[in-house]
This record gives sequence, C-alpha cells and structure tokens, in this order.
Amino acid sequence: MGYRKKNRHVGIVGIGTTKFSSHREEVNQPEMIHEAVRQALDDAGLAIDDIDCVLHGNMELFEMVHQPDLWHTLGSGALGRDALRLTTGGTTGGTLVGAADNLVASGMYDTVMAIGFEKLQEGHTTGGITNMADPLWARKLQSGALTDQAACKLIAEFGEERARRAAMTYRIIMDQHACKNPNSHRAFGLSWDQIDDLMKTSPPLIGDLRLIHMCSQSDGACAIIFAAEKKAKDITNWPVWIRDHITVHREETLNLCNNYYPTATTHRFAAAQLYARNGIADPLAYFDVFEMYDPSAWWGVDWLRDFFLLEGDAHLRLVEERQIAIDGRMPINPSGGVLAANPIGATAMVRVAEAAKQIRGNAGPHQIPKPVRHALASSFGGTMWTVLFMLEKELNWQGV
Amino acid sequence: MHPNFDLSDCYTIQGKLALPYTYFAGSVGSIFLTTLRDRRKIMGIKCHTCGKVFVPPRQTCERCLEDIRDQWVELGDTGTLENFTVVRYADRHLPRRPPFVLGLIRLDGADTPLLHLVAGVVVDRVAEGLRVRAVFAAQPENTILGIDHFQPL
Amino acid sequence: MTIYFDVAVADIFATMPRRYRPEGAQGLQTTLGYDIRGEGRWKLTLAGDRMEIESTGDLSGCAAILCADGETFAGLTLGRIDPNEAMRAGKLQLEGDGEAFAATYRIFQKYSPPIPAIQPSQELLVLKKTISVHQRFATGPVFGKFLMGLKNRKILAIKCPSCGRLQSPPREACAICRVRNSEWVEIGPKGEMRMLEYCYYASPDPLTGETRETPYGAIGILLDGCRDEEVFWHLLRPDQLDKARRGIVLGDKVIHGSRLRPVWNETRTGSIDDILFFEIDEA
Repeated sequence: MGYRKKNRHVGIVGIGTTKFSSHREEVNQPEMIHEAVRQALDDAGLAIDDIDCVLHGNMELFEMVHQPDLWHTLGSGALGRDALRLTTGGTTGGTLVGAADNLVASGMYDTVMAIGFEKLQEGHTTGGITNMADPLWARKLQSGALTDQAACKLIAEFGEERARRAAMTYRIIMDQHACKNPNSHRAFGLSWDQIDDLMKTSPPLIGDLRLIHMCSQSDGACAIIFAAEKKAKDITNWPVWIRDHITVHREETLNLCNNYYPTATTHRFAAAQLYARNGIADPLAYFDVFEMYDPSAWWGVDWLRDFFLLEGDAHLRLVEERQIAIDGRMPINPSGGVLAANPIGATAMVRVAEAAKQIRGNAGPHQIPKPVRHALASSFGGTMWTVLFMLEKELNWQGV
Repeated sequence: MHPNFDLSDCYTIQGKLALPYTYFAGSVGSIFLTTLRDRRKIMGIKCHTCGKVFVPPRQTCERCLEDIRDQWVELGDTGTLENFTVVRYADRHLPRRPPFVLGLIRLDGADTPLLHLVAGVVVDRVAEGLRVRAVFAAQPENTILGIDHFQPL
Repeated sequence: MTIYFDVAVADIFATMPRRYRPEGAQGLQTTLGYDIRGEGRWKLTLAGDRMEIESTGDLSGCAAILCADGETFAGLTLGRIDPNEAMRAGKLQLEGDGEAFAATYRIFQKYSPPIPAIQPSQELLVLKKTISVHQRFATGPVFGKFLMGLKNRKILAIKCPSCGRLQSPPREACAICRVRNSEWVEIGPKGEMRMLEYCYYASPDPLTGETRETPYGAIGILLDGCRDEEVFWHLLRPDQLDKARRGIVLGDKVIHGSRLRPVWNETRTGSIDDILFFEIDEA
C-alpha cells in the first residue's frame, strides 16, 4: 500500500450533533445543519472565521437536491471559504473525516470543519439507495440496503437458534445503550424476556432480517472541527488525536454482478492493514471502545469477527457473554450505534464523534465506566466500502 | 475503443427515475409563506450585526453566522429589477409557456434579490432598473407562487 | 414538579392503576413505599387482584421503601438508568425487602411517557412531489453484446485473461487484476441457486416509480460453467419462493441448492426482462 506518514498530527477540537429524529418539520435542511455547526463551533470556542475550509456531505438522491452544499451555505458557514463536497454512500461521514484528516495532516489547512447530514424524512431512502445499482440490470433486483446475506451466513455456520439469538442479544444491548443516549432516535426499552417474542413477531423485511434488526431512517446532522497539532493544543485542553485511518472498497461486489457475500470483506482487510502498520497485535486488548457502523443487528454480530480479526465463534461469544455492553470487556456502540439513529450522511461521522467524546470523557449518560484512551470507529457504505479510524487520547505513539 | 469491441452492439435503453419526496419549509419559511398567502405581505428578516435584510428570510445570517430568526421586518410590494433572463424554450418543469421573463427583484428595503416571474410587459422591453410591483395569486398557494408575478409599476 | 426524560414523576404513579396486571401479581400481598426526593411519597398496596396507590407523607408499615431523586426514579422507570449503577452511585437506596421492587416490573405494564400535548403551534408547510426524470442509458459495446445474447436466448460471460474469472453481466475490465477482459464464453443457462433474498419489503422500482409486488425472490444462481462467487443475479419464479433451496458453501463443504432454469420472455428486446425469472429445473 502507498501508505505515508502524516506531515503533522491532527486533533479533533470541536464536536456538534443534533438530536436524531424521524421528523424535523420545523427546520429546513440548512437550518438543521446549522444546529450541528453552531454546537461544534461553541464546543471548540471558535468563530466561523477561524475555519479555513468546510467539507460537506450527504447523498443527493435521499433529498433530491442537486449540489445541496450551495443552498446549505445558509447554515454551514461555507460562504466565502474554501469548501469541498464529498459523497460516498453510507461511508460519506467517514470519508469526510478522512478527507479532513488528510487536508490538515498535509499542511493544506490548519483548521477544517466537516459536516455530514441527512433529512431522510424528505425522501425515499430505499428507493434512493437502489438507484446506486446499474440501471440496466441491478436496479430491477436490488432493494436498497436491505439484505439478509449476513443472517444466511451466520445461520449456515452456527445454526438457526444460536445465530438468531445472538442477533437479538446484540439488538437488545444496542437498545439498552440507545436508552442512555439522549440523542437517540429509537430507544425502545427492550427487555431480555422479549427475545423469543421479537424473533417471531417483528415484521420480516428480507428473509431473516426483521424490522427490529434494521436501522432507522433518521433526520440529523453532525459537524466536527479538526486542527493541526499546534493549533489544536491552543484551541482546547482535550484534543482527540486521529492516529490513522484507512479506506478500502470493493465496488464491484454489489454494483453489477457477483452479488454474493464476499469471502474476504473490506472490513477485515482494512482492519488487518491498519493494525499491522500501527503495531497493534491484539485489537481486542488495545481498544477501549469501538463505535461501529452497524446498519443491522445481523451485520453488527458478523462484523465483530472482521474488525477484531477473530476466528471461529469468538465474535458470537463476545455477544452472548454480553462483553460488548457498555460495562463489558469491549464496549461496542455505547451510543446505541446505527440502530439507534441513522441520518445516513452523518452516521459514519457520528461514530467518530461518539468515539472522540468517549475519549474526552464527556459522552454524557452513555459514557463508559472505565477510562478510554484508545478508540476505534468504522464506516460502512453500500458496496462493501470501509473507512476505519484509530483515535487516541495521548500523542504518544510515535516510534511504533 | 479497443479493437475487440464491436460497436454494432451499442444501443440505448429508455429508463426513468421516479421517487416521492416531501420537503419541509421549516418554521421561518412557513411564516414567510403563510404571511404571503393569508395577509399578502412580504416579510424579510434583518441581521442586526451586518444590517442586511434578507428576502426570502432565513434563520441564520450566512455572513455573520448568527441566529436572526425573530428579527422580522415587513416590506412593501414594490422593488427594482436587478437582473433578468428571457426563457425561450418549453419544458414540463417550467412555470410558464415561453417566452417569459425570470427576474431578480430587489424589494425596496431589502438587500437580497428575489427570483420571480416578471409579466405584464412586452418581453423585449424588459430592462434592468425597471420598477415593479408584486401581484398576489388569486388562489391561496403554499409556495413562492403566492406571489403570482411582478409587473411594472 | 420537575420533568425528567420528558416525564413527570407524579404521572408514573398516577398511571399505575391502569398499568396494573393482576396476573403478574399472583396473589402477592404487600405494601411498598416510594420516597422520591423533591417530588413526594407514595404508598403502593398490593392485595390479590387489587392494587391501590396513594400519595401520602406516611410510609409506616411498608415492607420495603425505595428512596431516589426524581431523575433517578424516572430514569429507572424508563430503563434509561441501570438500577445496579444507580445503587453503586448511591442514587438509589432500598430499605427492607428490596426484591419486592424487582417484582413490580412483572406487576405493571411498562410505563410510556405521555404523548406531549399538541401546542397551538404555527402551520408548518410541506411540499410533496414525485420527482420523475426520463433517462436514456447507453449499453456500450460490452453490456450491449451481453444483452443481445439474451435476446438470442444465450447467457454470455466475459473472462479475465489474467485470473480467469467470469463476469456476467460483463464488464470491460477485471477490477481485481486491472486488465481488460477480452474473451466471451457462454454460460448456463441452467444452474444452482446459491443466494435468495426473500423480499417482503415493498420497495419502489426506481425505473418505473411503481411499488414492487411482494413477496419476491432476488436470487444468485451459480450457472453451469461458473464457480465460487461467479453468481448470476436475477429473480425466482414467485410461486416457488418456498420450494427452492439455496446452496451454501462453508469452508470445504458445499451444500447444493436447487437446480434452476431460465424462463425466457416470448418478446425479447435485449434487456433484463428477456428472462422472466428462473424456475426449478424439473420435468
């Protein structure tokens, strides 16, 4: 890989997220975005003139506004500033963070604000996603991001009972986390005795993927401000450092042909590369928290194996033994994750924002009860697209 | 093109992209449009920092990045044509049959121009600086077409 | 009265009678006290299929008393605060038979916050629109040749000269080897079902704007001549959704799926619709 070290360190210095919701009738798009922008600026103690460049991202077809970044200058603060628009499907938020990391690390800008948003109530999410498929073939066949391939794979390998129970266990742990997060869109207050009932009665979407397993369609925005090391230390007492990030994609998986669960996923490939070049031998031991882009409970369970490079049923045991709970050995998504809220263009960015807040120690009611020094955050996009981040509390990894 | 490829296999297929959308005007936008509809008044919002009056109104001054949502000012229905274009082709998404005039009208007391239709004047006589007045729609309309068009004073 | 998590503590008690499930109490006879700091005191009497809740300053005679502040109590009731954590933090104290309170989770239906009263709010405008755009897609030479093959009842694949993998529908290049594909081979038309998306969700077909009929089966077929991930994506005959079996590969083990054959459209134009669907290959 053509991996190069950064010219300089990049810190997260300001974070803003709206409350996530199924409906935001009282604001239009730029007004909703501005809520996150204002919060991020206030969090960093900066004025808009301190920002050198504004990055903006969502998916056009979800709201069907062409070049929305132009309209959104009414709330984004991009007026008269350098600006870029990025869109990479579900990974958009991760790509925004990755781009901000690159732009600051390269020396191009000292301070960059990235904004991810979606107002999914305004459009038809599944219809919009289906339009990513090839118009001559796959648009006829695809149903958005809904698929039960992860369920098939888990059931084939571990049997119906164990696989279904693991997916529901994962779901309930995520709901318990979501109940603690005041920004959650969906927090049901599910209890353990509902597992058997939900496995049977939740409406099926595709095969073994039921409504209860799937993420929501949310409205919301996230803004994060990034600064170069020296500036970051001036701006805040608690910068969170982006140690490294990696982007891996395999666009032919779903786009046109060979729609079959790939034997080597981009998640596993990305994780292996990232850990190897950072000298992380045991990711389960190293990281204190993982904010995963988990669009469904089935994917959540399955991807634990890939992200932690596990073999056998180790990923299932993490779930079954509830070690992924907020007070467990490897807390996954103390925010409730994507199952709690999915404003798609913001979602991957919220993973980074939540992981950074865990490191700062001000995540709120869902702050995990042990010190957090090393955090992992992932992004996922439709065609097996991965962006994976390592965040650090201390600037002490040089020389690894 | 690679020599192995036979161009005789190339052709086109008719397609369509059709999806339902629901747009929200938001609180500020709704006040603007319902006032237009019910009271036939054009409202703007003033930023007290830079002093600019925005029409249509907005919640945030994008220059000062300040919340200005409550700073309403009432404007008259006269203004000046700042710029315009003559639309001379027909398309199903256009609001009028061609030829018609789309103008940028700065209302008296406003700092930003409003995009709207200019009618009641021979197309070739339209010029920058033309003084115009809003003509409100006869039927209630929940969009900017609550103003039917602008016409010369 | 303070609102915590959108909930007034008094409302939690006021709704107890209607949330009562006598079948969960199973003849339980006890009196429980709630001392909610800053909010008040309540006494809950359970006697067989009857229950009574009263707001009272006097909690004498209670078998157990729960002491908490309003925020903690509202959070516990909604499941937003973990009881063990609250105990550890000293925000929740239980006097007497603490187990009795655990039982109340069975005795009462879960409390849900009241739907906020609709305030006389302003009219919020909404614009609904189905945006419809006509499009023309160029096939290009490679996809065009493939679609013309379907018109002639042939399923063509293109082969990577480097790794040998087959792609159908075909692409100009093998994205893994980064080389131009060149050789055409005919595959199928029969094969084995390897993937089934049993779709209940009625999503819109973006090519028409029409909602799809459900359930339908989007399938991956390993056509004869193909291997591994080289599956062909199409539809299963709707009335065979519950009949066709999908094959699975688990490491070295292969469980074979149903054999399928294409059902060709009588009028073929060179499009995905030239095959109506695949059906089970039986006489």
